[in-house]
Amino acid sequence: MRTLRYNQALCEALRQEMDRDERVFVLGEDIARHGGVYRVTEGLLERFGPERVIDTPISESGIVGLAVGAALLGMRPVVEIQFMDLITIAMDQIVNSAAKARFVHDGALHAPLVVRTMNLGKGTVYSSQELEAWFTHVPGLKVVMPSDPYDAKGLLISAIRDPDPVIFIEHKALYRIEGEVEEEAYTVPLGQAKLPREGDDVTVVAWSSMVGVAEAAADSLADEGIGVEVIDPRTLVPFDRERVVASVCKTGRLVIVHQAVRRGGFGAEVAAAVTESEAFGYLMAPIRRVANPGVPVPKSGALHPPALPGEADVIGAVRDVMAYG
Amino acid sequence: MDRKDGIGGRELTTKDLVEMYRLMLQSRCFTEQVLVWYEEGRLPQGLHPSVGQEAVGVGACYGLGPDDWVIPSLRTAEAFWTRGVTMLEQLNAMLGNAASVSRGKETSHHAGYPERGILAGTGIVGGSIPVAVGGALALKMRGSEGVMVSFFGDGASNRGDFHEALNLAAVLEAPVVFVCENNLYAQTVPAAVGMAIEDIADRAMGYGMPGRVVDGQDVVAVYAATQGAVGRARRGEGPTLLECKTYRFLPHYPIFEEKRPAEEIERWRERDPIEMLGRRLEEEGLLDEQGKLEMEEAIEAELQEAIGEAEGMPMPDPQEVFENVYREPVEAMGL
Repeated sequence: MRTLRYNQALCEALRQEMDRDERVFVLGEDIARHGGVYRVTEGLLERFGPERVIDTPISESGIVGLAVGAALLGMRPVVEIQFMDLITIAMDQIVNSAAKARFVHDGALHAPLVVRTMNLGKGTVYSSQELEAWFTHVPGLKVVMPSDPYDAKGLLISAIRDPDPVIFIEHKALYRIEGEVEEEAYTVPLGQAKLPREGDDVTVVAWSSMVGVAEAAADSLADEGIGVEVIDPRTLVPFDRERVVASVCKTGRLVIVHQAVRRGGFGAEVAAAVTESEAFGYLMAPIRRVANPGVPVPKSGALHPPALPGEADVIGAVRDVMAYG
Repeated sequence: MDRKDGIGGRELTTKDLVEMYRLMLQSRCFTEQVLVWYEEGRLPQGLHPSVGQEAVGVGACYGLGPDDWVIPSLRTAEAFWTRGVTMLEQLNAMLGNAASVSRGKETSHHAGYPERGILAGTGIVGGSIPVAVGGALALKMRGSEGVMVSFFGDGASNRGDFHEALNLAAVLEAPVVFVCENNLYAQTVPAAVGMAIEDIADRAMGYGMPGRVVDGQDVVAVYAATQGAVGRARRGEGPTLLECKTYRFLPHYPIFEEKRPAEEIERWRERDPIEMLGRRLEEEGLLDEQGKLEMEEAIEAELQEAIGEAEGMPMPDPQEVFENVYREPVEAMGL
C-alpha cells in the first residue's frame, strides 16, 4: 500500500468527499488560497473553486455559526479552526447552536457539520491547550482524535458523513507522520477502538499524539518482560467502553495517557467508567493517569519536562502499577 | 380595492391589510391571555411579551414565500403566527406536552417549524445571527430562490456575533435580511447606555451593505422595507440591515419589575401598531368597530378552545429525553 503523511491523508479525505457529495464545502482562515497552514486543504481551491473552498475573515464564532446554519439547511460544511485555543471564541456556536440543533428540532432538522481543529502540543501559552474534554461534556457533540494517517482519512470521511456535529481534533506532532493509506475512500467507524499493541499485564489507554508515545513505551517495557496492551479509542464520543473494560478485565491494571490537563481531563472519565464496570473486581492496582499536571504549557523547552507527559512518564507509571501490592 | 404601498413586494390588497391587522391582534390577545394564565399557574412559564412590537414580525414575514426561512428572536412571536403556526401549537410548546413540535424538548420561543420555514433560535442573544447567514448561504449554494430573515434586538447588535455575521454576509453576498427590532432597551439597560450611536442602521455602512431605519410601529412600512430587502437578496445583490424602531409596552419578562418612565411608555402607547392600522382601516371603510370586535371574539374563542385542547394532551414519555440527542441512542455514546 502507498504511504501518505497525516495531513495528506486528511486532504485526500476532503477531496474525495467533495468529489462524492456536492453538499460538502470547506471554510476557514487561510484555507483556500494558502491551502491551510498545515496544508490540509492544499489544492482544493483549484479543484472546487471559491464557492466551495472559502477563505473567511478572522471570525471563529461567526464561521462556526455560519456552518451550523448551512448544515441545518442541507449542506455538509467542514470548518477549520486553525488551532484549538482559538475554539474558545466559538464555544457558544458549538455548545448551543450546533450541539442542541437536533434536540430542539426533535430530529426534524440536524446539523451535520465538522469542526476540524488541531492541538499544537508545544506552542506558546496561548497555542498549546488540549481542550478535548470540554467537548466530551456536551450532549450532542461527537469528538474524534485520530492518531495516524490511516485513521485520519477514514475517520474524517466518517465525520463528514455523520449526521451530527463532530469536533475533529488533529495534532501538529502527527502531521508529518507517514503511514499506509488506501487510495480509495473508506471509513473508519466512530466508536471503535483499536489495539496497536496487545499485552497481558497492563492496559494503557492513549489517544492522539500520545498513542505513539504509549507504543514506544510498550516496546521498551517488552524488553523488561512487561506486556503492555495499548488501546487507542480513536473517538472519545462515542467511546468504545467495552473494549477498554474487556482489556482491564484481562490485565487488571490501567494507565491512561493524555496530553491535556489531568484535572477534569477525559482520563478521569475513562477511570470512572472502568471502576463502575465489571472490571472493578479485576483491578490489582490503583488506576494511574499520565497527563499535564495542571500548568499552562510553557514556551521554554527547559520548562517542558514536568508539563508535557512523555515516554518516560508512561514507563514510570506502568512500572508503578506493576510494582503495586 | 387594491392599493400600492411601499417600495417592494407585491401590492397589498384590502384583504392583506385586514389579515395583517388580525395577525397583530392575535399576537396581542395571545400574549395578554398567556400572561394571565402564567400568573394563575395554569402555564409553567411566561413569555417575553412583544406587546407594542407586533408590527415588526408581522410586517417582515407577511410577504415571505414558502422557500424563505426565518429565525425569530425570543420576542418575535409574530414570526410564528405570520408563518402559519397556530396558537394551539405554541401552547403545546409552552406546556411541553407530547403534541408539541419538539415533543417537550423546548418551549415556544425556541421552537422550530421547518415545514413552515422557521428555524429555532437559541437562548443566546445574538447567537442565531451567524446561523442565519449560514442558512442563507446554503439556500444560495443549493440554487434556491429562498431568502433568510434574521430577527434580533438592539441588545444583540452589540454582540460580536452580530458584527461577524454582517461582515460574513456581505463578503459572501448571502441572501439574508437582518431585521433589528430596536425597542430601545436591552432587557433593562437603555440602548443609549449600550451604544454611542443613534441608529443601529448606521452599522451597516461599516460592512458594505445598505442599512435603513424603518418605522417599526407601521406594519405597512415594515412590510415594504422588508420586501425591498428581500427582493435585493433574491436578485443576488446581498444582505440588508433594517432597523425597526419600536417599543415594548410591557416589562422584558413578567417577573421583571418595570422601571422605565411611565410617560415614556404612555408616549409610545400613542403609537400602538394595532391601533394605528385599525384607525386607517376604519377611516378607509375596510374594517369598522363591529368588525374588529368580531375578529377579537373569534381569536379569543380559538384561544380558549386551544388551551383546553393543549391541556388535554398527554405529556411525553420520560424516556423520550434520550431521543434526538444524536441520531443514535444516547447509550451508544458509550459513556
